Amino acid sequence: MLVQTGLTGPFPRSEALVTATRDFDRGRTTDDAVEELFRRSEQEVVALERRLGFAGTTGGYLRWADLFRPFAETWEGFTVGPLTRWLETNTFYRQPVLLAPPGRTPGAIASRLPPPLVREPGSARVLLPGPYTFARMLDNRSGETEPALIHRLGRLLGEEVRELRGRGFETFLFSEPQLVVHPPEGPPAEAVVAGYAAVDAALAAGTSVVWTYGADARPAFPLLDRLPVSVVGVDLAETEVDQIPTGPARTGLGLGVVDPRTTLAEDPAEVARVVRAAQAHRRARSVWLGPGGPLDLLPWEPATRKLHVLPAVQRALSEGTA
Amino acid sequence: MTARPLFPTQEIGSLAKPRWQLLGQRSEVLDDGAREELRSWDTRVGFGDEAPEVRDALLEGRPRDVSPEAVRDLGALFGLRFLETAGLDRVYDGEARRIEMYEYPIRQMRGFRFGGHVRSFDNKYYLKAAVVDEVRLDRPYHVDEFDFVKAHARAEPKLPITGPYTLADWSYNEYYLARQPGWKGRTARRSAQREFVVDLARRAIRPTLSALIEHGCRVLQIDEPAAGTHPDEASVVVEGFNAATEGLDAEFTMHICYSNYADLLPALLEAKRCRQWAWEFANRDSPGHDGYAVLKLLREYGDTREVGLGAVDVHRDRVEPPEMVADRVRRAAEYLGDPRRVWVNPDCGLRTRSLAVARAKLESVVAGAALARAEFESPRR
Repeated sequence: MLVQTGLTGPFPRSEALVTATRDFDRGRTTDDAVEELFRRSEQEVVALERRLGFAGTTGGYLRWADLFRPFAETWEGFTVGPLTRWLETNTFYRQPVLLAPPGRTPGAIASRLPPPLVREPGSARVLLPGPYTFARMLDNRSGETEPALIHRLGRLLGEEVRELRGRGFETFLFSEPQLVVHPPEGPPAEAVVAGYAAVDAALAAGTSVVWTYGADARPAFPLLDRLPVSVVGVDLAETEVDQIPTGPARTGLGLGVVDPRTTLAEDPAEVARVVRAAQAHRRARSVWLGPGGPLDLLPWEPATRKLHVLPAVQRALSEGTA
Repeated sequence: MTARPLFPTQEIGSLAKPRWQLLGQRSEVLDDGAREELRSWDTRVGFGDEAPEVRDALLEGRPRDVSPEAVRDLGALFGLRFLETAGLDRVYDGEARRIEMYEYPIRQMRGFRFGGHVRSFDNKYYLKAAVVDEVRLDRPYHVDEFDFVKAHARAEPKLPITGPYTLADWSYNEYYLARQPGWKGRTARRSAQREFVVDLARRAIRPTLSALIEHGCRVLQIDEPAAGTHPDEASVVVEGFNAATEGLDAEFTMHICYSNYADLLPALLEAKRCRQWAWEFANRDSPGHDGYAVLKLLREYGDTREVGLGAVDVHRDRVEPPEMVADRVRRAAEYLGDPRRVWVNPDCGLRTRSLAVARAKLESVVAGAALARAEFESPRR
């Protein structure tokens, strides 16, 4: 069994960065000082990811205000809307408001990626909103139907992938909680498949990961198994491991084994046992282990502590101690 | 006690802190704007004469002549008179001494550890604690502030307090989850959350409610804004409420906002000692969308409790005219089938609005309730 580990979403800001960004908002520090701290913090996250033996680096996406903001601020057709609750959490995002059919701005997302990733794109994990989650969580005033919008966003994200592949990026992680929170059926489900087909067409031997979280993935598996992607990730804090169905061998199995909703660190041996059980159900050739959801639901210190569980699980699996 | 009018009015939570209070409690000299703010509200609602030495010290640029606590007292007096002179029947102090509704209660307890900041949005963060041991209460809280309100209130006082489910939902559950055997998946997490909520209710909230009742508090509003976050845990919200109020003799209300109430019913109706649902409605009421229609469900379920009707939106500056408030009251009375069950209030605390807007909205609540009252009491009906 090939096992990879890594982050699957944004990492929390350090207490120093919390203080600096607060001070910046209050006019107590300069743009340059905050920028310098962001730069240093991103390098520290990359260093941590390497130290822990992760398969790819993210830099933590510390500057991103939320998953959609880089798109809402740079793509055509969007404005940034009101604060809206992020799933079943006490955190919020600014809802993108789509006033006209969307269009991408070449180069805009690349310019928003953490600088350490741009310097070494081959080992980077590019975080993107999945087309279905994006379509469901924006305020659609464009007049497009939901299926048409999902498909269009899939095509635009495919173009984004094509551009980033040209810049040397290889791995693309689509954050898709809504696929399990509100599993699509009928035309929206077909639009999801078509959207990811557009991504796949642009991927050119790259790796695509759809990471779901926030709800039991079981009802969504019939659709998840149809997606032309390299890996499908599920949140094991929400999905009972013995209910994961057998899947297509072409698809890698992503397992969210670190729960960002609690500061309690997972027991590596227990996690390894569950990973083995999940892999037995799924018969996947490769297993990707990561946090079950965005780790920035935790403060920096417990998030860092919990991240160390991943290599410990990897060791337990390779040593057969589970 | 005088009989309550039809459609009595009440506040729900916090008001924005006046700038003079914020500066004054930091012992800073008031700037021109803050001085004018203090003068004008004193003229309008009349509170400074109850503590003239504090008011005058602030106005005369001598903040160090008075203690921060004395400034907070003046802030609480201001909140009280602000709400009373708006015409409300049931009031508090605008939560003048509180900064927020999570960290303060948690810091009155043992068993918690604050592990750093979590981003709420953009560059805004909040401290979130993990429960790492059994919950224990250091001492009942909010008692001193209630004593002050009770000593000074002219209208009936009501105390708002954060409920056990919300405190648990806004914390990390470490201790109770660790006690669950095996994989810490969905089933274990739900079970651990239930234990956490009930422990919080029994060990911290109930003793606090009990102390407040001993001090003469008769009306307590249990705030559960997190109730709608996980609709499938409505029964846990109820279990926490019932455990917190068990054996206590007072009037309890439950405030919930920005939730799909239909998802919480009928589970929520098992809250035994809850006399009133104080819910937000105005935010979701718009032409073509009846934000109050969900009240029909209460009637269908045979629930006969009072409803604290959110009749003005706390997230918009536009002040609802009294006629709009009256229309909302009318609809609620019709859906519930009994006008005597309707109280009128803002959707939630008005702290997000300026004091001027908050005041105008409260006056509209009072005037709208009076309009509706006149209609219902008119012999033409």
